[in-house]
Order: sequence, then structure tokens, then C-alpha cells
Amino acid sequence: MKKKRIYFFLMVMTLVLILAACGSTDDAGDSGTEESGAEEGEGTAGEGTAEGNNNVLTIALGTDMVSFDVHNHTNTSTEAVHINMFNYLVKRDPESGEYVSDLAESFEAIDDTTWEFKLKEGVKFHNGEALDSEDVKYSLERPANDDTTLEHINYEVIEKIEVIDDLTFQIHTATPDPALLNRIARMGSAILPSQYIEENGFDHFLSEPVGTGPFQFNEWVKDDRIVLDVYEDYFEGVNEEWEQVVFRVIPENSTRVSELLTGGVDLAVNMPPSEWDRIENNEGTHMAQETSNRTMMLFVRHTEGWPTADKKVREALDLAIDNNAISENLLSGRAVPTITRVAPGNFGFNEELYDTYNYDLERARELLEEAGYGDGLDITLHSPRGRYLQDAEIAEMVAGMWSQIGVNATVEFMEWSSFVDMRNAGENKDVYLLALGNSMFDAANALDWYDYERFEGQIDYQNEEFESLVEAAEQNMDLEEREQQYIEAQEILAEDVAHPVLHQESINIGVSDFVNYTPTIDEMIYVETITKSE
Amino acid sequence: MNNYFVRRILQIIPVLFIISFIVFTLVFVAGDPVSLMLPDDAPPEAREELRETMGLNEPFVVQYITYMGNMLQGDFGESYRFNQPALDIVLDRLPATMELAIFAIVIATAVAIPLGIWSATKQNTSLDLIATGAAVIGKAMPNFWLGIMLILLFSVTLGMFPVSGRGTAMHVILPAVTLATGIAAEMTRLIRSSMLDSLSQDYVRTARSKGLKDRIVVYKHAFRNSLIPVVTITFLQTSTLVGGTLITETVFAWPGLGQLLIQAVNTRDMAIVQASVFIIAILVILMNLIADILYRFLDPRIKYN
Repeated sequence: MKKKRIYFFLMVMTLVLILAACGSTDDAGDSGTEESGAEEGEGTAGEGTAEGNNNVLTIALGTDMVSFDVHNHTNTSTEAVHINMFNYLVKRDPESGEYVSDLAESFEAIDDTTWEFKLKEGVKFHNGEALDSEDVKYSLERPANDDTTLEHINYEVIEKIEVIDDLTFQIHTATPDPALLNRIARMGSAILPSQYIEENGFDHFLSEPVGTGPFQFNEWVKDDRIVLDVYEDYFEGVNEEWEQVVFRVIPENSTRVSELLTGGVDLAVNMPPSEWDRIENNEGTHMAQETSNRTMMLFVRHTEGWPTADKKVREALDLAIDNNAISENLLSGRAVPTITRVAPGNFGFNEELYDTYNYDLERARELLEEAGYGDGLDITLHSPRGRYLQDAEIAEMVAGMWSQIGVNATVEFMEWSSFVDMRNAGENKDVYLLALGNSMFDAANALDWYDYERFEGQIDYQNEEFESLVEAAEQNMDLEEREQQYIEAQEILAEDVAHPVLHQESINIGVSDFVNYTPTIDEMIYVETITKSE
Repeated sequence: MNNYFVRRILQIIPVLFIISFIVFTLVFVAGDPVSLMLPDDAPPEAREELRETMGLNEPFVVQYITYMGNMLQGDFGESYRFNQPALDIVLDRLPATMELAIFAIVIATAVAIPLGIWSATKQNTSLDLIATGAAVIGKAMPNFWLGIMLILLFSVTLGMFPVSGRGTAMHVILPAVTLATGIAAEMTRLIRSSMLDSLSQDYVRTARSKGLKDRIVVYKHAFRNSLIPVVTITFLQTSTLVGGTLITETVFAWPGLGQLLIQAVNTRDMAIVQASVFIIAILVILMNLIADILYRFLDPRIKYN
């Protein structure tokens, strides 16, 4: 009897082992070519994909993409994948910052609220369907009309799309929108195949997405990988460099770095500053860095009764921060100190306020004394932790710098959603730290953060001159005048020290020497621009 | 006995209700997913609009009743992150976690059984000290640290295994070893003490006095009797395993339930959190039940009334 029991137990264990082994074999088959890089790397850093399949590019992301619903996400890393499968009507040229043709062959403003576009001929979706004006109408009216889509807020200005013929259509906006081109060259504007969606339903589209881009959908194993294959009939010509692109999801920083060092991946995003030297010094890998469109700043409370309502206090806080020391010590010198939130490459950028900062400890002490805080000032600085590059370390360092002028700052770190709730409820105290991006590349979005009404009870910054300038610029179709208005508005903000601005962050991507890659300010990963090195 | 098991199975129902209530409450208290769904520059009206659409403005009780009503029909809601039914996503990930857990258990058992027997039979020798010392270290090492160290040594320096991901059999070894270490350590200590207990029993003394070979006494008499607590503990390790997969899967980018749950908590994807915890709870309860059945099977003296 006893023997039988033991045999039974052994049989169960054997069965379990066999099942596990089968699972593993199946997966090995499924994963196909993607694994070649990882297996062949064998610790010889840099040989990477070159040793496996020459034509498969493997990119390591920190988080998975969220969905193929292009209108219903606000996630930059998701868009960085989408951009290889879908196209916008126009695209932003990373070099010049100009908006140039993508799916649209030509475009012009007919009047203040109407733009006419003509589509390129012969563009085909991955399923063979030809692109026409109806596809554009469907794709842009969805985020404009459906208030449940997360991008609705950025598209509601679009009133309707009027189809003129198969390739010609007009975009009508509710009010003059000088930033329309910026708006339709970013997340939420990808053009989808209306006929395919109509026939099969949107859920089917989400599982079998179809676009017009250089790569087409192969598979998405959530939290593991997204595989795209080259699209032979791409309207700008087939990509000769890569047959397949694999986006692997590797959340842990050190694992992502290790994959890069062993040649398991060709590109790894969001490399932490502590690893930059290791990647540079490793044979076969290097860092590719570029300033991002994200600016880190300190939002101060202007509400009456708070010490920071006094301009002298704000100025003292700003003068006590050595922005260069933050960049050098915490970000290996890759951050660019700035006084304005509007970064280069954005419409309305004020060059004079960029790559500079105010630092004068003596003057800071004097100003604090004049403001009546000669004996010291206690304030609270709220900061998220782990949301932005070195955010907690920067908050600590800023507090340390303030202590030199007699400002005793208590740094309170908060989990992100509690941090957002605190701000929304107006429970924020003297200062909080944020780093803000701007996918619209327009000063209007950046300066909206200084709007009185929007932040009433939370920030309460008010300057009538600033407000009238921004208001006039918002719908001003005279672009030269509009640009000047924004430049002046930023000067007012700097003069007021409305919110001390720290620096513009960098994009930090680890790259195998096997490929050539230059990051772009919009944080997108354009596979078309990635080539094999000689 | 049948009555006993029917009763045990019926007990699962209130347990699952209580678990779902606790998780729902914790997620509700933890904060508002809308803050994480919208970008920093989303205006307050957009937040309010989304909150309304998602039914988050309803009072707690109304939200809970709606949730329970749907859950009873097998609908855990839709993951806002993936725009798909939460239960489908969770069930999709389950095989990967099961694969990892089974490998980990096999490795742990393969290491712990010989090590435990060895250190019991050589009690108080330096070998025993090394084995028990190793078990303490194994138990004390945090999974994330061990995982990173294994990657650095075996993948980056020696290039023996792929760094991360799921695919070939080679991919499973490092995460399984990471996950197995703590469990093996606990099992080694348990087998050791259980073996020591058996070895001091009268029947062992009798066996030895009959002149039986030492190997037969140890493996046939003592070990077989020490196996009962070991089998039980192996099955009861399910919850430890699940806890371990949360960290291990993240370090090794293993696309399983653990990684999904961590990301769901980080993004307040409540539907996924609820569905994951529910499935994990069922697994743990089932494993405990199997342990009970096996226990009786291995030791006929145990009777359930």
C-alpha cells in the first residue's frame, strides 16, 4: 500500500514536470526570431542582434504600451510604438521643428477656422484598403466628438471634417486654432482604416490593428513584447534595414541595462544616471542622449497669506538654487538649466531665457531679510518620488541649497496619485516639484500652467498683462505676432519669478554599437531612422 | 470524509467574499485612478468628466454593490489600461506564472531533500553547519537582490543564460532559481528537523539493531516518515511563491501574473487588481485543499470527520 502511495506521488510530480516542460517548448516555438539576440549575446556585449538575426531590431521599453486605441491613451511610450505602425496627416520635422507632409500631400489654411488638406495618392493600409478622406473623417472626428476618449480634450476644437472628394477634405474648427498642425501631428491623430473598423468592429481592430506605417502588426504578448513586421507596400518605400522590430517590456532598470550589455537588445530606453558611465565604458554599447521636451520646475503658492506670495521670497528661493550643480551632480551634466518652461523647438520659445539661470546667495539672503524673514523661514516642499529623473534627489538637494540662506524646507515625498489629489484639492503647501512635457510643441500648452482660473485655490498666480498677452495669442492666426506675444509672456513670468524653473531633462537611451540611433526631442522611437552601423 | 471536503469547498465562498471586500476597500481608499490615467496637464474638468464616466463619483456602497453584482456574473470589469476584460488578461498570464512556480518548486525540492537528509544524518558536523548556514542565508536573501546578482554573474559576466524574458527553457532557470532559493532554504530546515525527529524514534533504533544497512534505515524508514510534513509544506508554499513571483517576475521581465499585479497596483488598474487577487486566492485555497487530501493519503492515521 505504502509503495503505491509513493508511486502515486511520484507520478503526480512527473506529470507536473512534463506539463511544465511542454509549456516551455511551446513558448520557445512561439517566440521565434526575437530570442536570437538574447541567446547569442552570451555576454559578448555589443555583438547583439548582429550575431543572431541581422534584420531583427530589438528595443527594450520600461513599460508596456497600453493599447492600440490611438485616441484613448496619453502615454508617450505607447505612442513611441504606434508611430511605427500608423501615420499622421502631417509630422513635425525634428531638425527644423516645421510641420511637413506625412499622409497629406498638401495643406493650407482657407480661412481662420478652415484648413484644406489633400491626401497622397496610392497610400494603402496594411490590409490593402486604400486611404481616403473618409478614413480621416472617422479618425479625427472620433476624439473630437467622443468625450470618453482620453485625447478628447485636445481635439474638441475640431468641429467637423468635410469630405470634398476621395483625397480632399477640410478640417473646420470651432474657433481659430493657430496650433492645429501641432495638434494633428501627435498622439490621438493617427489615421485609422474606417472601412476595416466598420466591417469588423473596433474590438477586432484592437486585437488586429491595421495602419499605414512602415511596420505592421505581428503579435502583442502583454507585458512581454510587441512584434512588428516590415510592411512591403509602405507608401514611402519598404524599410530595407529591418524585417522585424521587437519591443520588449523590461520594467526593472538594472535588467534592461544587463540586456543591453549582453547584446540581448539593441536599444534600451530610460537608462538611469547611475548606469550611464557603465554603458559608455562597456565595449560595444554607448549612450545616446538628447534634451527632452520635459522641464522640471518648482510650483510655488501665490495665495495671499503664504510667504511665497511675496515676490522677494520667490526670487530668494530661485537665487539660492545652483541649477548647474544639480545638473552636474545628479544628472551627469545632461540637464540644461533654464528660466522658461517653453523649450527649444516649441512654438514661442524665448531663447534668452534658455541655458541660463540665476544664482546669487548674497542677494538671496538680502531679499529674504527685506521680506521680513531674516531670522529664517520654514516651508514645505512636496515632491513625487521615482516619477521623474532623479526627482527625490533633486528635491533633497534644493532643500539643502535653501538651508544656506536660512530657509528651512521640509521635504515631503508623496506617492503619485496622492500627489495629484493633493494638488487638485488645493491642499498643496508652499512649493511642489513637477516636470512637465508638452507633446503639442506649442507655448500655449506650456503657459496654460500659469493660468489663474485653472489653478485658482491651488496656485493663484495672477498677472493681468501676462493674461491679456496669452489670451490674444491663443487664437491669433498671425503667427509672427503670436510668437512675439508668447516670448513677451515668458519675460513677464521670469520677471515675476512666477515659478522657479530648474532644468530641461534629457532623454537617455542605451544603444548597441551595432546600430546608429539619434533620439528625438519628442521621445518617439522612429525605427525608420535607425540603421545598422558599418 | 466526503462531508469534510464538501464543507471545505463551501467555506471557500465566504472567504472569497471577504477577500474581494478587503481588496475593493483597499483599492478604493488608496486613491483615484483618474490622476494616473490623464497626463499632468489635463484640466480639472477633464478629470471630473472621466471620473463621472467611470462611475467613480458614486458612493462606496453603490460602487461595491455594482462591482459584486458584475463579479457574480463572472465580470470583473474592464482593465482601463488595456481596454479589455480583466479576467481574460489575468487568465492569459496564469500559465507563465505556473510555469515559473512549478520549476521553482522542482528545483527547491531537488536541492532541499538531499541537503536536509544529509545535514540531519551528519548532525553537528561542519557539513551540517554549512548546510544550515546556507539555509539561513538562502532565506535571508531578498529575491530582487538575488535576481540581480544572478543576472550579473550568470548572464552578464559568464554569458550562460539570457538576462530576461520568457521563451526557451534557458529563460526559466535564473528566475526559477531565484524563486526557489527561499523555499529551498525553508524546506531544508524542515526536512532536517523532521529527519532528526524520525531518526530518534524507536522504530529507527529497532531497524538499526536488526543490523539493517544505514542507507535503508535513513531512506526507507526515517525519510519516508519525514515526508509527510514536507509534502504539506510544499503545497502550503503557494502563497510564498505568489509573493515571490511579484518581485522575481519584475526583475526578470517574466510576463506573468506577478508582474501584471505590480503594474496594476502602480497604475490603479482596479479591475486587474481585483481579478488577480481573486484568482490567486482561489489558487491558494485549492493548494491548501490538495495538501489536506495528500496529507491523509500519505498518513492513513489521519481521519477527517
